[in-house]
Amino acid sequence: MAKKNRNVGIVGIGQTEYSSHKEHQNQAEMVNEAVRYALEDANITLDDIDCVLHGNMELFEMVFQPDMWHSLGSGAYGKDQFRITTGGTTGASLVCAADNLVASGMYDVVMAIGMEKLQEGHTTGGITNMADPLWFRHLQTGALTATTATMMMDEFGEERAKKAAMKYRILMDKHACLNPRAHRRFGLEYEQADDLMNTSPQLVGELRLIHMCSQSDGACVMIFASEKKAKKMCKTPVWIRDHITVHREETFNNFGIEMPEMTHHYAARKLFERNGIKDPVEYFDVFEMYDPSAWWGLDWAREFLLLKDDEHIKLLEDGEFDLDGKLPINPSGGVTASNPIGATAMLRPAEAAMQLRGDAGPQQIKKKVKHALASGFGGTLWSVLMMLEKDLDWQEVENG
Amino acid sequence: MAEYFGTAVEDIFNTMEERFLSEGTLDVDVTIGYNISGEGGGNWKVTIKEGTLKVEDADGEVTDCTAVLNANAETFVGVTLGKLDAGEAFSSGNIKVDGDLTVLVAILPKAFKPFKPVIKASAIVESVEERFLPEKAEGVDIKIGYDLSGDGGGQWTVVVKDQTCTLKEVLDDDCTVIMRMEAQVFVDLNQGKLDGGTAFSSGQVKVDGDIGVAGQSASLFEKYVAEGAAEEEGEELISLKCVPSINQRYATGPTMGKWFDGLKEKKFFASKCPQCGRTLVPPREICAQCRVRCNEFVEVGPDATVTLIDVVYYASPDPLTGKIRETPYTALFMVLDGVSRDESFAHDLNPKDIDRIKPGMKVRPVWAEKRMGTYRDLLYFEIAD
Amino acid sequence: MQISYEDRKDCKVMTGKMALPNHYFAGRLGSKFIIALRDENKILGVKCEKCDKVFVPPREYCERCMSKLDECWVELSNEGVITNYTVVNYNDKHLPRRAPYILALIKVDGADTPFPHIVEGIDAEDVKTGMKVKAVFAEETTNTIRDLDHFEPV
Repeated sequence: MAKKNRNVGIVGIGQTEYSSHKEHQNQAEMVNEAVRYALEDANITLDDIDCVLHGNMELFEMVFQPDMWHSLGSGAYGKDQFRITTGGTTGASLVCAADNLVASGMYDVVMAIGMEKLQEGHTTGGITNMADPLWFRHLQTGALTATTATMMMDEFGEERAKKAAMKYRILMDKHACLNPRAHRRFGLEYEQADDLMNTSPQLVGELRLIHMCSQSDGACVMIFASEKKAKKMCKTPVWIRDHITVHREETFNNFGIEMPEMTHHYAARKLFERNGIKDPVEYFDVFEMYDPSAWWGLDWAREFLLLKDDEHIKLLEDGEFDLDGKLPINPSGGVTASNPIGATAMLRPAEAAMQLRGDAGPQQIKKKVKHALASGFGGTLWSVLMMLEKDLDWQEVENG
Repeated sequence: MAEYFGTAVEDIFNTMEERFLSEGTLDVDVTIGYNISGEGGGNWKVTIKEGTLKVEDADGEVTDCTAVLNANAETFVGVTLGKLDAGEAFSSGNIKVDGDLTVLVAILPKAFKPFKPVIKASAIVESVEERFLPEKAEGVDIKIGYDLSGDGGGQWTVVVKDQTCTLKEVLDDDCTVIMRMEAQVFVDLNQGKLDGGTAFSSGQVKVDGDIGVAGQSASLFEKYVAEGAAEEEGEELISLKCVPSINQRYATGPTMGKWFDGLKEKKFFASKCPQCGRTLVPPREICAQCRVRCNEFVEVGPDATVTLIDVVYYASPDPLTGKIRETPYTALFMVLDGVSRDESFAHDLNPKDIDRIKPGMKVRPVWAEKRMGTYRDLLYFEIAD
Repeated sequence: MQISYEDRKDCKVMTGKMALPNHYFAGRLGSKFIIALRDENKILGVKCEKCDKVFVPPREYCERCMSKLDECWVELSNEGVITNYTVVNYNDKHLPRRAPYILALIKVDGADTPFPHIVEGIDAEDVKTGMKVKAVFAEETTNTIRDLDHFEPV
């Protein structure tokens, strides 16, 4: 893999609140709100931005190319702009693209905007229209499948698996309750686990309503700068160390008798190998994972962290994924709490970066956070995995 | 409990804490006594001092305060809600004030947000017949059961049939749907203070029966507005709803074309990768793992072995037609005979086999009588026994 | 790479429809703009003092200097000039008029930005940029920009 031309720092982060009621703003105004927050956070003006990246889930508001209209609020007037729409991974791809653009030397300061205003669109319509119109469109159940729940119950026993998924869900809600911007904060308690496990309406099989992510409106903006500029502009820049994007085929065909290596596992394996990370659970201080449902969140913890057997469930049961555990997962509440699709995958590195900076607010991890991991997910198991660092002190492993 | 204009006297005092505006009373230091006579009345002493509030129940008449208000319950509630003219109440002697009248006139409006009557769940349910919109209920034949616990709760059945609505004060056995929750949750949902999705997913609302009906039922009734509640002046926010559609023509290309030709003849054609040998179904022109063109087709199946089962309870409406598939239905993941072991194929299960289907079973396809080379040629799979 | 004759014989075309249900929100300023058209037959814009520009339709922040504009309303004239125009010569179900009709950019007096609208009451060959036009408001309103029905020559 080629080395970076220069290091890239995150110098500004802006987020709107996430909710399902933003009738008072049109899309451009919502984007503008996040842009202003990010510029304020970075203490710069639009004049300092060289390039704007814009992304959302194409067609989920049932309109095409909103980046053109959003120039009313995005500050892109007269500037270089690129549009990125990679489905659910859009937010993370935006960060990868910004990293690439700045690292290459082509731009010094890049602003990336991820947004979604689902209230204006039709999520089912969007997902249905994404499917292969010849064969898969009529089979689509949106993004819902319980295959992971079924497989986990087979592997670990029905009761342990269901309890674990519920514990994960309640943990995510507890984190969300700390996050002032989170969309859904139920105030769940662990005592409710048994009740919710059995009474929450089933969507598909053992995937219940309580496990599923929300549908939110909101925008997230991040500003990236080259190392030299970042150090000048910002008191606490944090750094993008590396990122990887891995895709599967465009069909969900991996539920056969044998399962191929999961994209997440592949991505983690490659990323950690080339960075010399032998034990991700030891190395990382926080993991902002894109977890569209409690079942997936728990299962993918094993894939991303290269664990075996029931190590991930043990870590959960021992409280190591809690805010004060060995490897806190989603201090922001994750995707089950807030899911403004185009921005969701950007929220992950954004919240991770805030943890590194030490200003994540009420959901800040108390121990020192120096190494962060963030993931994005979309479509048929596309994975984006990203490593962020507090200090510029990592040693690169030569890997040809 | 005695209620005047839909409100009890103690509601006004019980809500003083939440209605208190601390910033408006930073330079205030007063005590106000309330002696409310009549049914539902009582005695209270309210202390407002430098931005803090204390409300105490008093035993017997309250006397030594900066100001003491004496009134009967109906007048007190009526004036508080703006239903009765305060000036007239004073002049007629229905309200008497001992002490500093200016305290009441100048300080109270700064100290409290106006009282909004407490809405009881029972009031909302008991008004369904008046709020019913018959024009919205054409063809509707449902029974909605409410099982609300707590203060203001109860059990009711709302019967909607032949464009009429009848309320029964029992919970029938044969309701189309029963909604169970705390009475306060019901009120908050009804008044828009709590959104349905949140209440539902967090387990505050439990639904037995047809969830779809529960959602639809809201549109059959006018919104409940409490007696005495002032119309909130909201900003008018414009929005525009529409469903445009685009006509499309999809080219299948030769590979999917062959797949559809196969369906017409009750055959499954997979493509085979010349490099890794895996079979792809539905056939794809390129093997994504080897990145080479798959020129060869092989006939596979028609039977298959089931690997995973998804029982779908919630189906999203079709964005074009609004139709919803009948649930529950079962989606199968299976490996067709002759296909490589890591390539699964997904399709539906014959509804008659929903209870018997298990992973590992053998299934066979069921074809449409008339086949035209489209996805409709393959109806579903069923257990092969 | 060529597709051979054998390959082509399997190719088919399937027709279908893609639905796009959507729900657009005008926002607070957009709503006020439409309501002014609808209820008062007035065209409102917002002014950015820093850039010294009046924008119509209004937007919450100036796109160039990010000044807040939501309290800088300006009432504009119902008359203006055509800055450019085209003639729509085809029919489709989403179009507001039957072809041919004139679609023009109109800069109302007081505004710095033109906005597109329909021009009626004149033949296409007689339209000239710089022509003076005035707004005609709709009898039946739809809560959209079409509460201003069209412009016609003064």
